[in-house]
Amino acid sequence: MRKHINITGALLLMAFVWTACKKDNPIDEDGLLITSRAECYVSSFELLGTDFVTVRTKTATIDTTAKTVSVTVMFGTDLKNLYPQFTLAQDCKLDPKITGRTDFSDLANPREYTVVSGNRQVRKTYKVLITVQPR
Amino acid sequence: MKRNPIYIYPLSLLACLLLVMTSCEKKDYVLPTAKDVLQNDAIKRTLGPNIVNDTIEFVYAMGILPSKGKLVSAEVEASIAGATGTFLEHRSYYTNTSGVDVPVEIGNPSVNDKTKTTVTFTKDTSAAALRYTYIVPEEARGKTVSFTFTARSSNGETVNYKLGPYNVSKMDIKHRLTVSNANNAYISIEDMAVYNDAGAAANANKIDLVYLYRTYTTSTFTHALVAPAADPQYLPDITLPAGVNRNTKIQRAFNLQDYDLAFLQFGIYIDDRDFQELDLTNAPNYAINLKAEAGIWVETADKKYRAYVYVNSINNGAKSAVISIKRYAL
Repeated sequence: MRKHINITGALLLMAFVWTACKKDNPIDEDGLLITSRAECYVSSFELLGTDFVTVRTKTATIDTTAKTVSVTVMFGTDLKNLYPQFTLAQDCKLDPKITGRTDFSDLANPREYTVVSGNRQVRKTYKVLITVQPR
Repeated sequence: MKRNPIYIYPLSLLACLLLVMTSCEKKDYVLPTAKDVLQNDAIKRTLGPNIVNDTIEFVYAMGILPSKGKLVSAEVEASIAGATGTFLEHRSYYTNTSGVDVPVEIGNPSVNDKTKTTVTFTKDTSAAALRYTYIVPEEARGKTVSFTFTARSSNGETVNYKLGPYNVSKMDIKHRLTVSNANNAYISIEDMAVYNDAGAAANANKIDLVYLYRTYTTSTFTHALVAPAADPQYLPDITLPAGVNRNTKIQRAFNLQDYDLAFLQFGIYIDDRDFQELDLTNAPNYAINLKAEAGIWVETADKKYRAYVYVNSINNGAKSAVISIKRYAL
């Protein structure tokens, strides 16, 4: 009986040591998992007004070659206070982060957002081109 | 000390049996004994902020054993006298099997004397639940108000119940103002009123918003609330009365159906704190394409007021809308 207990104890100890020494999965400075994925693109884009209702007139056009997001917004949209929402390829992240209302009113100098791949090796910078619908 | 399992198992079994036996023991229901003294209780019925000229409703319940006496009077004393219309019901309500509240008259209509509202019982009544409606007076704005409910019985007993203090909001409220295109189109937050062209000219320095309705094939404009100083593209074909030129900050809001303004089922209330924390620094001065049940946050050009203008309904055919306003003086 005592022999069985000793064997079980030794096995448990080995399992503990093995898991304790296993290398941690790498994470980046934001605490996000760094994976092996190299995909890096924007798959969809949304713009919300201060009332959290979309200001788009139609679906945004995303050009992954030219790295542009083109969106037409309704006449009268308050361009200084918009909430952009990006959908990215798996494991990607966005730089700069979106933390609240964003000013898109300088149409001559479109805002730029960089998509960083899951392996953090690929970076692609997209321009958000906004067109305001005529009255 | 080494324990002998021979003793441990039967003891555990006995303990389990004892537990099962006691847990299944049946206890006969005994009617609770009513206290033989005059008793009372009170609740506040209304939720949300307490607004000047609006109501705060309570229910005051009192009872005594019939063998001990009957109810003689009920009284409410507010720390600040209620405005005209404050009353204590002289009818006690019960809910019938259909769920309808049925009144039973128990005394004379209430009498207000400064801070006190009193009902004198005229029926042999040993228990009653009376509703109390307090109209918040101007004097209470921004202060707190408390209430002491008192019941008296024929055997000389007196009992009371205190509720509060409750904060009274600094807000004002105005319900259902009709605005219409090219007619009653000028809104003053300071006056909480709607004006036509002549009225706007007479109150030019108080006009904060212009209502207009437009339809275009290229965009959705429809119902709009725009500051007089906004870019003319948001005030198409509008000639403002002389002196109407204020630059109001405006921010659209949706899904903010404040109960006091909308009277819908949503338990949402805008309170003083919402206005205190509102930041319209970068807000524009126009809001177009407004829908029913949407609204706008507003800050007047002189920064004297912040307000929430709620759109109760819109009428495309009549080119009009019904709005309600909550206003906070800064």
